[in-house]
Amino acid sequence: MKRLRRKRQKAGVVVNGSFSREPDCGKKHKLAEINQALISDPVDIETLRRAAASKGGLLTDELRRKVWPKLLNINVYDLPHKPGRDVRDSHKDYNQVVLDVKRSMKRFPKGMPARERAALQEQLIDIILEVLKQNPQLHYYQGYHDVAVSLLLVVGERMAIALLETLSNFHLRDFMDPTMDSTKHILNYLMPILEQVDRELHDFMVRAEVGTIFALSWLITWYGHVLSEFKHTLRLYDFFLASHPLMPIYLAATIVLHREKEVKQTECDMAMVHHLLSRIPQDLPYELLIGQAQDLFEQYPPPLLAKKAALQSRKSLSISTFQAFQLSTLHQRPDSVLQRLTKAQGSTASRHGLEAALPGDRGQLWGKGNRMVKMAVWGLSATLGAAVFAVAQTALDWGPDVLLQLF
Amino acid sequence: MAEIGSSVEFSGSLSSSALPPPRTRIFKIIVIGDSGVGKTCLTYRFCAGKFPEKTEATIGVDFRERLVEIDGEKIKIQLWDTAGQERFRKSMVQHYYRNVHAVVFVYDVTNAASFRSLPAWIEECKQHALGTEVPRILVGNKCDLQDSIQVGTDVAQQFADTHSMPLFETSAKNPNSQGDSGGANSDHVEAIFMTVAHKLKSQKPLVLSQPPMGSGVTVNLNRGRDDGGDGAKGWGCSSC
Ligand SMILES: Nc1nc2c(ncn2[C@@H]2O[C@H](COP(=O)(O)OP(=O)(O)OP(=O)(O)O)[C@@H](O)[C@H]2O)c(=O)[nH]1
Ligand SMILES: [Mg+2]
Repeated sequence: MKRLRRKRQKAGVVVNGSFSREPDCGKKHKLAEINQALISDPVDIETLRRAAASKGGLLTDELRRKVWPKLLNINVYDLPHKPGRDVRDSHKDYNQVVLDVKRSMKRFPKGMPARERAALQEQLIDIILEVLKQNPQLHYYQGYHDVAVSLLLVVGERMAIALLETLSNFHLRDFMDPTMDSTKHILNYLMPILEQVDRELHDFMVRAEVGTIFALSWLITWYGHVLSEFKHTLRLYDFFLASHPLMPIYLAATIVLHREKEVKQTECDMAMVHHLLSRIPQDLPYELLIGQAQDLFEQYPPPLLAKKAALQSRKSLSISTFQAFQLSTLHQRPDSVLQRLTKAQGSTASRHGLEAALPGDRGQLWGKGNRMVKMAVWGLSATLGAAVFAVAQTALDWGPDVLLQLF
Repeated sequence: MAEIGSSVEFSGSLSSSALPPPRTRIFKIIVIGDSGVGKTCLTYRFCAGKFPEKTEATIGVDFRERLVEIDGEKIKIQLWDTAGQERFRKSMVQHYYRNVHAVVFVYDVTNAASFRSLPAWIEECKQHALGTEVPRILVGNKCDLQDSIQVGTDVAQQFADTHSMPLFETSAKNPNSQGDSGGANSDHVEAIFMTVAHKLKSQKPLVLSQPPMGSGVTVNLNRGRDDGGDGAKGWGCSSC
């Protein structure tokens, strides 16, 4: 976790290395860094993650189209096909999806012609149903469409399907159970974070019995449902795509902490506090809060919170699969190579390699262990060499499972 | 923005600078029913005085309120607008059933399925110890869509009677569009929530113990149905 070793004052002044001193050069430098990371072989995923989380995020949609797939280990030359007409046939969630998408007008750019928006809304319905159809273990929830639309608007239909499918099986997985119990479990991490940082605020909220539902839509839509400026949503998506699945909760904590004074001045009453908190200010200092969320994550990592708060050790699929997921992103080939390979193979690569190879609960590899695993990956890549990569259908197929067995 | 012009909702009668005096009673009313029946539109109509141009799916629970005056007493009406999708019911909305004073069940008159879901919603309420002693009303929304009605008034009335609730049919979109009974009524939705408020005000033990005052205001609903004043039967004060 060396990437988090930046010095920050407690008050939250972000010192972002060279960026804060020379903003323009910083941006240029960042662009170059991202592009370099993208052409490295294997792709320099650590640098991409750092770029996505650090000031300004991934800067442009063009870069997002290149980097988002890498963050999710997706081969852009082997994308799912456009959904066929039958995708809408008799799906149990069809009506709900249509209802939600029809009411999602606000998510589209204001100046967009109605016809174009309508066409995108149709695509939105299709991509959601396509992912649900291919993954019967996933259950639609209201708010899922807010995630889907954010992806669709940046990367287009086919890539959106691929991204959404991976996100749904990992970062969003807990929200997609048949019930919301796992989601509630994730929300339960919020109060313990507050308790660590500001006991008084925490106790106030407990007395008000406000609960955590005010943060529900933040969590399950990655704030897409509550932010009116799409650029802010994108900034957060960059961050979350590069982070642990619990990061939206840490960000929620920083938002509540940021409004600490307001909260404490409110009447200590559930309705009042819920109302205050659920209306997210649109002028939040996002960069600052993102930095703080990373700090909180480092200071109070999920296992620590779980212990302190005696969170019942309910199994979170998003959390337990994250390790393997991250490992799987470590040995991606750059796009130029992928293009060549994918063409050569007639794109028979299995997109589901990782899902099939998911390990069970292998304990905490997060932290130091992570680095060891990473080194093992590098070791293997070096030993086996590029030839093996070329033969393997995707690097993924022999990825996390094999490696995790080493430990 | 979190919800359709949330700030507007407060501008009508309750501005942040004019906080109500400490003795202001608060009536908490939860609004439930299937997704898409118009819960958000109805609560918005009551609190902001208009039909929202765009609504979005409600995720979790949204909260709206409005300060009204009944018989010279200022009362805060808090509406809890809940998510309709079934998965949110069980684990999420739960928290908000506590301490509510009244329940508004909503179905969509153009959607028979939303009407068929009502028993499940009623059951849900019962599980949270909101039985028949809590005033409950049934609202059939979207009456402006006269050509696509799937749930007739007679069927709905029968259902309401069985469950000892008064029935109101209305439209959050166009409250004046019910052609059949005309009338000078300007805002049916307003009248519905005010009826509930009157009912609550006339109940004795509520929120803060204040001497109950007789509700002298007549609420005029243009469907000509027995409303607010229809006593024990309609309001389900009887035990069943
Ligand atoms: N014609 C007509 N349409 C209405 C009326 N009330 C609501 N609608 C429409 O019905 C759709 C759903 O309304 P909402 O208020 O968002 O429904 P909801 O019950 O809050 O739904 P969830 O938040 O998903 O539980 C929207 O497109 C509204 O514009 C009405 O009285 N007449
Ligand atoms: Mg709603």
